[in-house]
Amino acid sequence: MSGLAPLTARELKKWYRNPVFLLTGLIQPFFWLALFGSAIDISKFLGGGAATSAAAGVIFQGASNYITFILGGILVITSLFTAMFSGVNIIFDRRLGPMGRFLTSPIRRSSIVFSKILSAMVRILVQVVILIAAAFVIPNGLVLEHGFSLLAGFVLVVTVILVALIFSSIFSVIAVRLKDMNTIFGIVNLVNLPLLFMSYAMFPPDIMASWLADAAKYNPVSWAAESIRTVVINGTVISSQVANVEWWMGSLAILAAGLVLLTYFVAEKEIRD
Amino acid sequence: MPVIIKTENLSKIYGGKIKALEDLNIEIEEGEVYGLLGPNGAGKSTTINLLTTRITPTSGTALVGGFDIKKHSMDVRKVIGVVPQDLTTDEDLTGYENLMMVARFYDVPKNLANERIATLLRLVDLEEAASRYVKQYSGGMRKRLELIVGLVHDPKILFLDEPTLGLDVQTRTQMWEYVRDIQKKLNVTIILTSHYLEEVDALANRISIIDHGKILITGTPEGLKESLKGDIVQLTFKNQEDAETMKKFPEATEARDFGPNIVRVTVRNSDEVLPVLIKYVSENNLTIMRMTVQKPSLDEVFLQYTGRDIRQEDAGDVRKMMMNMRRMRR
Ligand SMILES: Nc1ncnc2c1ncn2[C@@H]1O[C@H](COP(=O)(O)OP(=O)(O)O)[C@@H](O)[C@H]1O
Ligand SMILES: [Mg+2]
Repeated sequence: MSGLAPLTARELKKWYRNPVFLLTGLIQPFFWLALFGSAIDISKFLGGGAATSAAAGVIFQGASNYITFILGGILVITSLFTAMFSGVNIIFDRRLGPMGRFLTSPIRRSSIVFSKILSAMVRILVQVVILIAAAFVIPNGLVLEHGFSLLAGFVLVVTVILVALIFSSIFSVIAVRLKDMNTIFGIVNLVNLPLLFMSYAMFPPDIMASWLADAAKYNPVSWAAESIRTVVINGTVISSQVANVEWWMGSLAILAAGLVLLTYFVAEKEIRD
Repeated sequence: MPVIIKTENLSKIYGGKIKALEDLNIEIEEGEVYGLLGPNGAGKSTTINLLTTRITPTSGTALVGGFDIKKHSMDVRKVIGVVPQDLTTDEDLTGYENLMMVARFYDVPKNLANERIATLLRLVDLEEAASRYVKQYSGGMRKRLELIVGLVHDPKILFLDEPTLGLDVQTRTQMWEYVRDIQKKLNVTIILTSHYLEEVDALANRISIIDHGKILITGTPEGLKESLKGDIVQLTFKNQEDAETMKKFPEATEARDFGPNIVRVTVRNSDEVLPVLIKYVSENNLTIMRMTVQKPSLDEVFLQYTGRDIRQEDAGDVRKMMMNMRRMRR
């Protein structure tokens, strides 16, 4: 009687039946990809004489265009946003009534939160597939110069899932005891931009202000973006990157495990009327 | 009949000072329809929320279906059905999906769940609407759906917190029929709260009057009416002196103040006593400004025990009701 399956089914139904939800969830990252992806024209750096050209090649880690460089970042950001909003979604169950039913049913209280986390993961994976497809389609889009190995696919999917777990957990824990919608969305708005811009999701560290680049080093969003970026650009985990990828993904995994545990205990104890 | 709910000094204090419920001690027997009658803020929802394990008591405890609400809340949840005061169904799902989801909370096998859902939908005339989204339901339909959501797992005990709050009079009487039907056909013990006297009078076979977190009296509707010991004559006089004289009326079985210059006199049979009362008034030169005679009713019982007219509460209730209606329409 955990209730996890019926609650997750409910979340997914609400998602795929709501066209607005579905469209904004897909259109928004697509815009990002198209607009941000075109913001920097790497070829302008590459065409500017041998010295600049070599420098740009290093800065952008050998990506043949900016979309190829930024795709990892966009995937992580999409995952981050979807996860955040599904985490705080619990407030709507409180506001609109279903929570009253859940609290008097013989289900695990953590299932209420984990159903949101699980459904966020499904949604994010769908978004990822569509985004990658879109990245291929748009002009001057994604170039997989070195192919894409099974290992690369594994790194990409697992990283995205870890990001989903980390951020939906954090925001579930925040939302569990909060009853005021404004407070919650205030917090979301407060943290999403710093999380995004204090990371390597959009720009390579070498062109960032050094204090920002230093701060971004500790941001899980950077770890995830860099993991995906290296496999997208190189087609697999190249030998010079093995240690980095292990470190990034290991850190993400430990963080995710800790947060999921925390979420479990907080939800079991703290979901109350 | 065996006792199915027993509370022991059950209390809930909010924020260290709001005594929402104080030392509740009640016993409810299997098969009863027990009504908790009280004005807004009396502690009815608090009682229901405690017994259904939605909130935990500050002190005291209760046994529900044989299980302690504090130590074995999961077991309690398995044997109870709840229709809380506020709506709980998900507007983005259909009526059927809401019912099925809740059935799965209790691990009811799919075939059995479908059978039960069909029976319940028929019981409240929602077969047609079952495949529609709940957001398209009217207020009354939504309340009917709420009524059966709490029954998909065939509970032994059903809690109804203000089941007709915010409904118009016609829909309310219709709801009463549904509740009676449920009680008869499904053989559940029902605990019902209401601030409508007619409602508990129509449905409950035992009533407690609750106010300020305390039970004032418990009994059958008939017993409570009888406890008034006759009809009540309420008189408003020109001055307190006259009122005091009236309290000495020899035919009164009871006489007490009920506000400035107001006296309530209980008499055995108003039809016979009224002429005597009129004579007493003129002999003593009393000036009556206003006079009403009340045959025993739950209104009078309520007035007698709480010192307030429950209907006065309805004015403050309008805002809450409107809010509820708005929510239901959305
Ligand atoms: N969560 C809460 N926090 C603080 N006070 C509450 C809370 N819930 C109810 N109360 C107070 O407890 C009292 C009883 O409320 P309630 O049980 O809802 O009354 P009823 O259902 O009879 O209208 C009221 O004074 C109400 O304001
Ligand atoms: Mg109430």
